[in-house]
Amino acid sequence: MLVNLPGPWNPWLGRLALSEIPYTNPILAPLFVVVVVLGLLMVAGITYYGKWGYLWKEWLTTVDHKKLGIMYIILGLVMLFRGFIDGLMMRTQQAMAVGPHASGMMGAVHGYLTPFHFGQIYSAHGMIMILLAATPLLVGIMNIVIPLQIGARDMAYPYLNALGLWITAAAVVLIMASLFVGDFAHNGWFGYAPIFELAYSPGVGVDYWIWTFQLVALGTTLGSINFIATIVKMRAPGMKWSRLPMFTWASLSANIIALTSFPCLQVAIGLVAADRYLGTHFFTAGFGGNLMLYTNLFWLWGHPEVYFVILPAFGMISEIIPTFSEKPLFGYVTMVLATFAIAGVSWLVWLHHFFTMGMGPYVSTEFSVATMLVGIPTGVKVFNWAFTMYRGRLTYTAAMYWALGALFLLLVGGLTGMMLSIPAINYMVHNSVFVVAHFHMMLLCIVYAIFGSVIYWFPKVFGYTLNEAWGKVMFWLFSAGTALVFIPMFMEGFMGMTRRLDWPFDPHWAPYLNIQVLGILVYVLSILAFVVMLYVSIRDRAQHRAAADAWGTSRSLEWLTASPVPFYNFAVVPQVNARDEVAWRREHGLSAQRASHYDAIHMPNNTGIAIIIGGLTFVLGFALTWRIWWLSLISLLAIIVMMIYRSAKGDPGHVIPAEEVERMDREAERTMPRADLPRHSGGVLGGAIAYDSGAAGEGSANLRGAPDYRP
Amino acid sequence: MSSAAEKVDPEKVVLWAGEHEGHDVISTRTFGFWLYILSDGMLFATLFAAYGVLSYAHSYYTGPTPAQFVAPWYTFIQTMALFLSVLAYGFSMTALKHGNRAGVINGLLAASVLGVVFLGLDIHDVLRMFGMHITPWTSGGLSAFYMLTQVHAAHIFFGLIWMLVMIYQVMRKEFTEEVIGRLISLRMFWQFQAVMWVFIYVFVYLWGYMS
Amino acid sequence: MFTRKWQPLRWVRYVALAPLLLLLNGCATHSIWWIFDPHGVGAKASFDYMMIDVAVMLGIVGLTAIMIVWFMWRYHKGRNRGTYDGKWAHSTTIEVFVWGIPILAVGFLSWAVAINGSFAVNPYNPTVITRHLKPHGDPIEVDVIATDWQWLFIYPQYHMAVANELVVPAHTPVFFKLTSTAVTTDFFVPQLLGMIDVMPGMRTKDALESDSIGQYQGVAADYCGAGTSWMLFKTHVVSKSDFASWVHHAQQSTGNLTVAGFNRFAEPYININNKVEYFSQVQKGLFNQVILEVMHGRKWPLPMFMTENMVGYLKKQAAEHRA
Repeated sequence: MLVNLPGPWNPWLGRLALSEIPYTNPILAPLFVVVVVLGLLMVAGITYYGKWGYLWKEWLTTVDHKKLGIMYIILGLVMLFRGFIDGLMMRTQQAMAVGPHASGMMGAVHGYLTPFHFGQIYSAHGMIMILLAATPLLVGIMNIVIPLQIGARDMAYPYLNALGLWITAAAVVLIMASLFVGDFAHNGWFGYAPIFELAYSPGVGVDYWIWTFQLVALGTTLGSINFIATIVKMRAPGMKWSRLPMFTWASLSANIIALTSFPCLQVAIGLVAADRYLGTHFFTAGFGGNLMLYTNLFWLWGHPEVYFVILPAFGMISEIIPTFSEKPLFGYVTMVLATFAIAGVSWLVWLHHFFTMGMGPYVSTEFSVATMLVGIPTGVKVFNWAFTMYRGRLTYTAAMYWALGALFLLLVGGLTGMMLSIPAINYMVHNSVFVVAHFHMMLLCIVYAIFGSVIYWFPKVFGYTLNEAWGKVMFWLFSAGTALVFIPMFMEGFMGMTRRLDWPFDPHWAPYLNIQVLGILVYVLSILAFVVMLYVSIRDRAQHRAAADAWGTSRSLEWLTASPVPFYNFAVVPQVNARDEVAWRREHGLSAQRASHYDAIHMPNNTGIAIIIGGLTFVLGFALTWRIWWLSLISLLAIIVMMIYRSAKGDPGHVIPAEEVERMDREAERTMPRADLPRHSGGVLGGAIAYDSGAAGEGSANLRGAPDYRP
Repeated sequence: MSSAAEKVDPEKVVLWAGEHEGHDVISTRTFGFWLYILSDGMLFATLFAAYGVLSYAHSYYTGPTPAQFVAPWYTFIQTMALFLSVLAYGFSMTALKHGNRAGVINGLLAASVLGVVFLGLDIHDVLRMFGMHITPWTSGGLSAFYMLTQVHAAHIFFGLIWMLVMIYQVMRKEFTEEVIGRLISLRMFWQFQAVMWVFIYVFVYLWGYMS
Repeated sequence: MFTRKWQPLRWVRYVALAPLLLLLNGCATHSIWWIFDPHGVGAKASFDYMMIDVAVMLGIVGLTAIMIVWFMWRYHKGRNRGTYDGKWAHSTTIEVFVWGIPILAVGFLSWAVAINGSFAVNPYNPTVITRHLKPHGDPIEVDVIATDWQWLFIYPQYHMAVANELVVPAHTPVFFKLTSTAVTTDFFVPQLLGMIDVMPGMRTKDALESDSIGQYQGVAADYCGAGTSWMLFKTHVVSKSDFASWVHHAQQSTGNLTVAGFNRFAEPYININNKVEYFSQVQKGLFNQVILEVMHGRKWPLPMFMTENMVGYLKKQAAEHRA
């Protein structure tokens, strides 16, 4: 043992002991029971309906970018919910605990959460929302949309894509495990030096935090390599750079940022791990360590990461607004320039996260001006979206609601962001809830864009549109929740309320905190509206069968192929002739033109190795967290062996004969409503779920169409 | 830009490309590996930044500074071993161009033996310093010194495992696109580690020795 | 475009506007809006810069919002208010404006607020305070040490110290040197001066000058462990004569503070009862001594799971006669 570990340790179980399971905690114990019961019900259900084989063959081993994207999105939505519950607990704690005379229970002096527990909740909330909710949701949507937008059959490295998903899933499982075994970090999602050192955080919480970070960083880096290679190498003929759809451009810039910045995170967190596991002195206050180094290294990643999540959201808005304005995007070239300008400047601004460290006016000024420079391309984007609507024909669909909502949140976020970028102002509001409200504006802008694009691209993936009315109800409830939570939060910031207070000491804040709780309740209603929207949409799917061009006014290439997208994406790879190819074909009356000749298609095989490696990375993370050295070593060796095994085995892929492609394409054509005809109600059950991908077994060229599609 | 102004003749316009042979497996793989190298470069850049911040005199606390324990000639032998290993790998790639299986295997064997020599020298150096009670937990500066050099050594270690796997695959398999692609990627990896070593040798060992 | 079987709940959208009513309430009670009610020279300067920035940005953002809403209204499909031009996607004039306006705004704000402001309220040397410094003026020096989780204010000029309460004279510049024993936190008095990080083994600086006598709330603005929320201190700005008598009073107290005494003081302690302590004899150079000790690896480690049950911990703390 290189470090003096507080508390017991034994060679077999490491720090793990029965006492680490919080079965006496009145919140966690019932939650654990609920999770176990739900899990058992799910297992029982899958067994009862005999779906294990289907689940394994079609989902768990798939390398299809659309299915992986769907799983990413499900993962993201589940974690969005978990993060929301954390938010709910924070809001209720603060509302209950406010003022010196608030009562306390369950070991807390005020409210119902002890400071240590409260610290874990906001740390988990931040980490989950940014890295395990927003990132998987965006990666999922990128996964589905990018290959379709550029006319590719799949991602450049389908196996790597699956690996990225399962490593991200391992990170999710690890952070969820921290709920029920041991505890989580209390040092905030970005960590403070030296509070995460062993002396000040003796438990395993910080270790969970470290390995969750490392896993999600690894998964995201793999994903970003894949996206960049796909966009550079896999574009359909004629898809020149000048014709690349805006969302793909935005994703490209975002993934360049991710690829180059995530290693900084891995180093920063890796050095924390070295401090805690090996007893080094990188970020200690004594022995020549430098605790400011941590803050710099972390935000060197942290700020580019912010743009990694916001740029794809900008790309989504840039797709939705033109479609429902029936016009091309205004100022395409400057939009691309603005995107890359934001990406470039994102590297020069990290210091604005800690102006209060006292680095002197010259350094502060430089980073302040650099930060404000971001406002220029962002402003250009807002104006360009506005002028896209100018002289348009605006249809207010639910997707458009979300996109416009994101636009207004961006305005508020930009206004407050310009305040925070100035050191003189920043000193007064830096660690206050004003900052919290500001970055929630930006992150909610992303969430709005994500909801918008889920509605927008849903018909492409599943073959039917989501219920518009319930989508709008959800939008209004969600927006009401946003206003009720965050307008009071801005005001509390001006009242000098600092962030991360488990006990807000000033009773003047009480009414505002209570309004926030009301807002949280409205958010709960919006979640219910979301569930109802899904239920109603699935129930009425036959009446809302989507055409290839689901909205009738769509512009980019993904709307050319059938809805739902067949597993091979395009029966015949299209030749791209214009920037907005689908709009161009529609304007020239070419929409109905079909290929006369089909070719055989080569597709990759499914593989179970990705999910096995994902599982092993979870075991590795868990073993390292609890310092079970033998298990860490074994799981690491097992990962290497699996990689060598995969390398030896290779992937020959399988070929779908041309006549089979033709048959499936005709079939899809027949069951789809045509965009130029009124919507007919005699659709069939659609969606990626209804498809048997054909890649049923490894190395099998055997192909089965979905049963519903057979004549 | 949708140019609706000009009329498009539906008979002549090309709308479908079919299965074009544009996606070269090796080139796509190599491009992806370049991207990995980029991220690995960022990893080293960040470690160098950490080393830079933690190499001021006060970072070494009361412990020794590199000037007191670095042996530049010893590390020069390491440098030579790694460079010769890269050279041997180069011979192996020349043999690959001629489809000479034995040449490829011999080159890879020579490269891995020299890699093992490098790693052995590194481990010996670490043990020598541990013997002098110069350890990563002495001071922040030494933590950074060990982290940078040993992360590089870990890369070499995984490169060696990869090389052994490739020797086995070249012996057992045809020169398929996948095998060739991996050999090219490994060459990039190996050369990149040598380049990183040059930086480490200059900035950590030589500079540390002189300051 | 869509068959609507069911009308959406149309009233729901107005709920979103309801919180705006709060803004009306905001104008009524002034004193709780600490950021809008500054009483320190630095805080006032910050507030002025904030107003300039908000005015400029609100002009642009507000007009943009109005423009967007107008476009949304005018080009609503089927209402035939505006003309449709499905090809229009480029205009050099507009491009010049959409790049030009943000560039001008950012340029102006960079110069007027970012650059000037950074020097004016630079915590190490705030020109709003220092430029009026009289050559023979008598600024007060205060050494601030943050522990887990208390504040210690040492007045080296008077060889005395006070825990969890800061008293400064009005119309007098006060210069702080700050450090911490265990972990990083943030020194902040919302109405008087901006935040500055307080870090173990390091020294930061801040400065304060206030012309308004009164009592202001000081907080630990950065999370530093379980006692963060209770790490509060009242800041009293008093007249010069009151300050002199307060110093005199404090110097009469029995407590003295050696390095050993400080090491006991710095043990983890949640200041649940707003305890204020006075120390008359403070060892010379204690502040630098603490920094040096921390640099040599001194730690005040946290007992494992000390805050899992806060009520239980506080009982233990009381039993140790430290309440």
